[in-house]
Amino acid sequence: MTDVIKIEKLTKSYGKKRGVSEVGLTVKEGEIYGFIGPNGAGKSTTIRSMLGFLNYEKGSISIFGKDSRKEHTEILKEVGYMPSEALFYPAMKVSEVIKFAADVRGMDCTKEAEMLCERLQLDTGKRIKELSLGNRKKVSIVCAMQHKPKLFVFDEPSSGLDPLMQNTFFSLIKEYVKEGTTCFLSTHVLSEVSRYCDRAAVMREGRLIKEDTVENLTESSIKNVKLYADGEHKEYMFDGNINELVKELAGKKIDNLYIEEPSLEDIFMHFYEGKEGK
Amino acid sequence: MTAILRHELKLNFKSLLIWSLSVGIMGFICILMYTSMEGEMADMAETFSNLGAFSEAFGMSTLSIATISGFFATEVGAVHGLGSAMFAALMATVLLSKEEDGHTGEFLYSLPVSRSSVVVAKILALISELVLFTLICGAFYAAGFIALGENIPGSEMTAFLLRMLMMNIEIAAVALVISAASARNRIGFGLGLSLIFYAYDLVGRVVPDMKDWLFLGPFSLANASEIFAGYELPGKAVVTAILVTGVSLAAVFGIYLKKDLAA
Repeated sequence: MTDVIKIEKLTKSYGKKRGVSEVGLTVKEGEIYGFIGPNGAGKSTTIRSMLGFLNYEKGSISIFGKDSRKEHTEILKEVGYMPSEALFYPAMKVSEVIKFAADVRGMDCTKEAEMLCERLQLDTGKRIKELSLGNRKKVSIVCAMQHKPKLFVFDEPSSGLDPLMQNTFFSLIKEYVKEGTTCFLSTHVLSEVSRYCDRAAVMREGRLIKEDTVENLTESSIKNVKLYADGEHKEYMFDGNINELVKELAGKKIDNLYIEEPSLEDIFMHFYEGKEGK
Repeated sequence: MTAILRHELKLNFKSLLIWSLSVGIMGFICILMYTSMEGEMADMAETFSNLGAFSEAFGMSTLSIATISGFFATEVGAVHGLGSAMFAALMATVLLSKEEDGHTGEFLYSLPVSRSSVVVAKILALISELVLFTLICGAFYAAGFIALGENIPGSEMTAFLLRMLMMNIEIAAVALVISAASARNRIGFGLGLSLIFYAYDLVGRVVPDMKDWLFLGPFSLANASEIFAGYELPGKAVVTAILVTGVSLAAVFGIYLKKDLAA
């Protein structure tokens, strides 16, 4: 499979403030790639650098084999981007915004836009200022998908959408991916990653700390330990040789003990809190 | 680029209409006031032309306020000069920054169009708006002359409007630098800039030592009294305007194409 996105040693700072440091990742053609991390981890900085909103100091970003700085416009022709804040020109009608996005692309996307609006139950006659966050998100989805791009870049796409619409949205993603589109999905919602993504990367404090298949991420040696011993209740993540854990527990008067496979949430909390190697 | 140009014109249509109608109608009313003041003007003209620095500042020493042309240059010249300068500065100050201020930049710049194309399209839209503004106001002034049964001083009026347009383009170019450098709409800065330019010209005409430096300000391009008195276009002011506009636009591209866009 060809690399659709290839980021190498991406470094971007905001004066003295940290942005991202030495970030490297690869997204393969046709996959849904999850990009996870808490607020301020550097997810949006990475995405905004990819799309040319930010000028990064070091590293390289290539999308479809094209340099993100030199061939920025060419890249954007094949990208459908959905920002975390779905904000448009307030006085414009939904239909005008959708048409404007197609016009700038020099394309007639009427058919696809109509299909998307119908699936998402979007009223195109309303003005943007009359829309709720969820409906603005729907406009953003239509603008990102109507030209059938080869790559989706979604930043927190499902926030504001009701569960039914989230379902429709992910069904749409799966349909487009089936036709060959690649999807780069930045999210806080870990269940979305475990349910829809093939691979994922975890960001923490501006650095990429883990990149693997979702399967491998969940099948790690990390165990969730719930211990009731010596009149105390302790719950923690254990990452290491299971014999070490048995040795550690041997001297305790145990009332109850659970050693469980961690959920994806547990694993990411483990990464966020920097407890690797415990 | 055409789509962005059209989009920008559409977004600014209301502002253009409000400003051009306001300034145009004010000018029209000023012209109509001439008949009611004509008799008194004849007596006042002599006094006004001998008020020294005050007469100089408002061009009343150059042209008699008792004539329709003189009245137009003095009254409407000030209204149009200040009104159009404020409009140009206001529109230019928010031209680029509004995308970041309104958080629409992420939508606009995720479309396959380079930042330089967006800037060019927006500048073209701004120039079109300034031309339309001038035409609409010009139509009101012409209507004022017609309503009074006076002949429209065609060549002077054309020169007046064209030179005002040049002045507005220069002011807009300077204000555009503020827009390129800022992630917030700095309307106050823009309006302040136009008022500073106006005050510079006014003070420059009152203070004898500053007269030689009047050409540095954009208002020196379009002094209505000088235009209606048949003075030639001041060469130094034209060269300065071209230089200021050129340097400002270069700065706009230099700053805006390299800056990080706010989310």
